[in-house]
Amino acid sequence: MAEKLLTRSYKVRGGDYDKAGEVADEIKKILKDLQIAPQLVRRTVVITFEGEMNMVMYAHEGTISFVLTNEDITLRIVDTGPGIEDIEKAMTEGYSTATDEMRMMGFGFGMVLPNIRKNSDIFNIESALGNGTSVTSIIRLNENG
Amino acid sequence: MDDFTHGFEIVEDQCRGKLACLRACPTHAIRVRNGKASLKPEFCIDCGVCFSVCPSGAIRPTTLTFADIHKYKFKVAVPSPVLFAQFPMAVSIEDIVRGLLSLGFDSVWNYSTELALVDRGIKEYLENWKGPYPLISITCPVVVRLVQVLYPGIVDQLIHVQPARELAGRVLKRKLSEELGIDSGDIAAIYISPCQAKTISILKPAEGSESSLDGAIGISDVYNHILADRLARKKEKPKDLSDNLIPDAGILNWATTNRHGRYLSLHQYLSVTGLRYIIQVFDDIEKGRLRNIEYLECYSCWDGCVGGNLTVDNIYTARSKIRRLLEELPDSDPELEAAVKRRFPHEDFSLNRRIKPRTLGEKVSSLEAGVKRMGFEKAVKMNLPGIDCGLCGAPTCDEFAKDLSWGRANQKDCIFFSDKSLRELRKLYRAKSQ
Repeated sequence: MAEKLLTRSYKVRGGDYDKAGEVADEIKKILKDLQIAPQLVRRTVVITFEGEMNMVMYAHEGTISFVLTNEDITLRIVDTGPGIEDIEKAMTEGYSTATDEMRMMGFGFGMVLPNIRKNSDIFNIESALGNGTSVTSIIRLNENG
Repeated sequence: MDDFTHGFEIVEDQCRGKLACLRACPTHAIRVRNGKASLKPEFCIDCGVCFSVCPSGAIRPTTLTFADIHKYKFKVAVPSPVLFAQFPMAVSIEDIVRGLLSLGFDSVWNYSTELALVDRGIKEYLENWKGPYPLISITCPVVVRLVQVLYPGIVDQLIHVQPARELAGRVLKRKLSEELGIDSGDIAAIYISPCQAKTISILKPAEGSESSLDGAIGISDVYNHILADRLARKKEKPKDLSDNLIPDAGILNWATTNRHGRYLSLHQYLSVTGLRYIIQVFDDIEKGRLRNIEYLECYSCWDGCVGGNLTVDNIYTARSKIRRLLEELPDSDPELEAAVKRRFPHEDFSLNRRIKPRTLGEKVSSLEAGVKRMGFEKAVKMNLPGIDCGLCGAPTCDEFAKDLSWGRANQKDCIFFSDKSLRELRKLYRAKSQ
């Protein structure tokens, strides 16, 4: 495994809509500072934001950890939420368990997980009812790698 | 490195080191050393905030002077629609056109038709666009440069449809050279501009390889003359200027900030004015937070081009003037509509060059080196007071830490680290105040 050059870990609290997006801003700043290619920055930021938003909407609390190596960026989005009953269903575009209230606020279009997968080079999700959800997303720095 | 020409210049002799520009610059492109401001040109987006806040008059827009214009054989004024909103109601559009002619222009070009054509061009482009969304208007040169400098990841979302003023420059040269038999090289199209940013988009376009306009004069440069001319001529019977007059409300709609609201529904369209709000919206785009918006119109100046830094009247009276003029003019003009329909299929709206992100500053040699620099920056930051006094010459402590980590500054520039720096500053500013 390639050497870890930089690691960061952020706590996210459920229901904290106000702060949602701050982790994505933070990670964006780091990647821009490191002069990572704009398209990679954008993909990473979208994944982070979706993960953050998902936690704010469904979980009690969670962590987003960020690991950078010379080869890739790994995001681990782990929460202590209710867990997902049917992962396959949850991965379908447009499928959402969002409440009407969430939808009225413009959230819950059922694109979160599909969007994270779409922007990842490697995507993995593990979840069990009552035991939270853990998403791992890897973005390769070298497009051919 | 790219060559940067900017919409204004800092006159060193006049700079008194008051730090107003340093604090106001949204991209942190200014440093003040030894009491003199200087620019990191690759970070400047030509927004002109520094020019507006400078208390010493040391920052000057690089618009043309009348001497520059008189060297051309045939000079055509291309007034921004904002010009018409600058005067009291008693000064008619006709008076304004007459004033421009008496200034020495040979003709005044009303680009209502080109504006309507570009409207349609944008609409068609949107219909054929497959994403990513939103597309972003390139009318405001500052917005284009902001994206190039701070948001390289969305640079492909800048809409590749020429601004109407550029199309106007091309069309007027073609038409006038045909009609009057003048070589198109002898025709100069001079934009009457509400801001210095549009000047720079003519001198050094980011949007294409060459501008079809030949220069710009600020509205504030023609204002007095137009008023004086109107007062001097009030009794004279006006000659027929109907060719130059405005046929319908279209052109004035362009002086408002809701230009596309007419054919894009509100769900798909946003109009954002003011740089700090644009930055918020662009941050949201990068996060994927701005959903369902297909087209964004952004104007760096608050409330759009009527707030440009070369305008004269305040934005509220100007806006009210536009509203009253809009009431007087018909909504549409059949002749103009017919011209748009006829010309649309033959008009080429494309930019002649792709808009690319700007290359900024030093390149990190490797990811390891970048991480190391970032770690150093963080460590330095911890020792700085965080009060952003600006005396070191950088706008904020964070920015100073960044400069230090790149080796562009010395820690002793901070007065918290060096009494000598403070003594020198005291000497420098005392001398200046005498």
